[in-house]
Amino acid sequence: MINRKLAKVLSFRYKILAIIFLVLAGGLVVLPKYEKQEGIQPEALLKNAVSSERYITTDELADLIINQDPSFILIDVREEESYKKYSLPNSINIPLDKLLSEDSNSFLNQDQFDVILFSNDHFYADQAWLICNRLDYNHIRVLKGGLNAWFNTIINPEKPSENQSVIASELYSFRKAASMYFGVAYPDEFKAKPVVKIIPKKKVIPKKKKKKMPVEGGC
Amino acid sequence: MKELEKTKRISIAAVLFILIIIIGLLFYERPKHLYTVNSNDMLEKVIKADYFIALDKIDDPSIVLIDIRSPFEFEKGHLNEAINISTPELLKGDNPELFNKIAANKKVAILYGSTPTEANNAFMVLYQLGFENIKILLVSLAYEQNKLITNNSIIEKNVTDINAFIAESQKKVKIVPKPKKRIPKKVVPKKKKKKMPVEGGC
Repeated sequence: MINRKLAKVLSFRYKILAIIFLVLAGGLVVLPKYEKQEGIQPEALLKNAVSSERYITTDELADLIINQDPSFILIDVREEESYKKYSLPNSINIPLDKLLSEDSNSFLNQDQFDVILFSNDHFYADQAWLICNRLDYNHIRVLKGGLNAWFNTIINPEKPSENQSVIASELYSFRKAASMYFGVAYPDEFKAKPVVKIIPKKKVIPKKKKKKMPVEGGC
Repeated sequence: MKELEKTKRISIAAVLFILIIIIGLLFYERPKHLYTVNSNDMLEKVIKADYFIALDKIDDPSIVLIDIRSPFEFEKGHLNEAINISTPELLKGDNPELFNKIAANKKVAILYGSTPTEANNAFMVLYQLGFENIKILLVSLAYEQNKLITNNSIIEKNVTDINAFIAESQKKVKIVPKPKKRIPKKVVPKKKKKKMPVEGGC
């Protein structure tokens, strides 16, 4: 009896096997996508994080803006409030919490432009960069020192003392010119023009009054 | 005879199939480091900003200080009882196990570098690999006469209002030239020299 029943079941064995495999295959589709391993390898991420290639200095950026280089986008990763208060010219505001939204994806994940991230310092910009780097977004850079460095170097450059090298004074004159481009006015520069006009009018050279004392004779 | 050949083929195929699976399993190498946090969760953590610790709270015994600067700078000067694991070495050798050990002992690993930004690299990589008991020390290091100085560091501090500065500079310029224009009008009159007749002596 048992043998007969077993033989009956065994005659279906291929069908049973096929059904089992079909069910398993269906299960694979239902499995959640394993999203945690997205992006580049951790080792590669660490290697990229250590390298300082991503930084762009404020001088380089000022040069880009003044020359109206069309190949880059500026992205402000601070919150909207501070963005409205002051931001770099033509920058786009993507606060950190909207970094991975679809709208910002079109700015960050593309190959046409260099994207320059900045914040007050470069702490938040660096964090945003690390997140983007893991997702293998290329062409993303970070403004070194952020807006604070922007202020200290471009907007309000420190005048080099006289015994510093020529390079320092050249850098200063570049920065000063750049700051004037961004709207800073210098009293000494402004004064320079009227002075030039006035000088030819002033022909009066004050002379020291010589008072000759009457020479008194001796005796 | 035909029947036998058929079973032979089937058994050869089956053996080969099983062999391939076994070889595949033997050579399968699990990647050493796997992410346990995806980018969205990382971003959430970043925004939460609960991973900072102030300089005055590091006397706690449940804290392990980790210096992520280069060994050279570590030799030059470091905080008390700090362990040196420079950022490029984080995933090499026994270092990940060290972090696991710290977690097993229910301690918190505090990362610090010469600025919090420097420690951030290490923090973000480690956090995404599943090391959750790590924090960043808000410190900036400096040297004075080869002595290490620690300062509290505030991240992302807005130092100046740039708009106000620009407006101020423009204001200054507008006010300053007015009084200066009046000044050049002053004409110093020439005084004619009067030559006094020279009186002779006697």
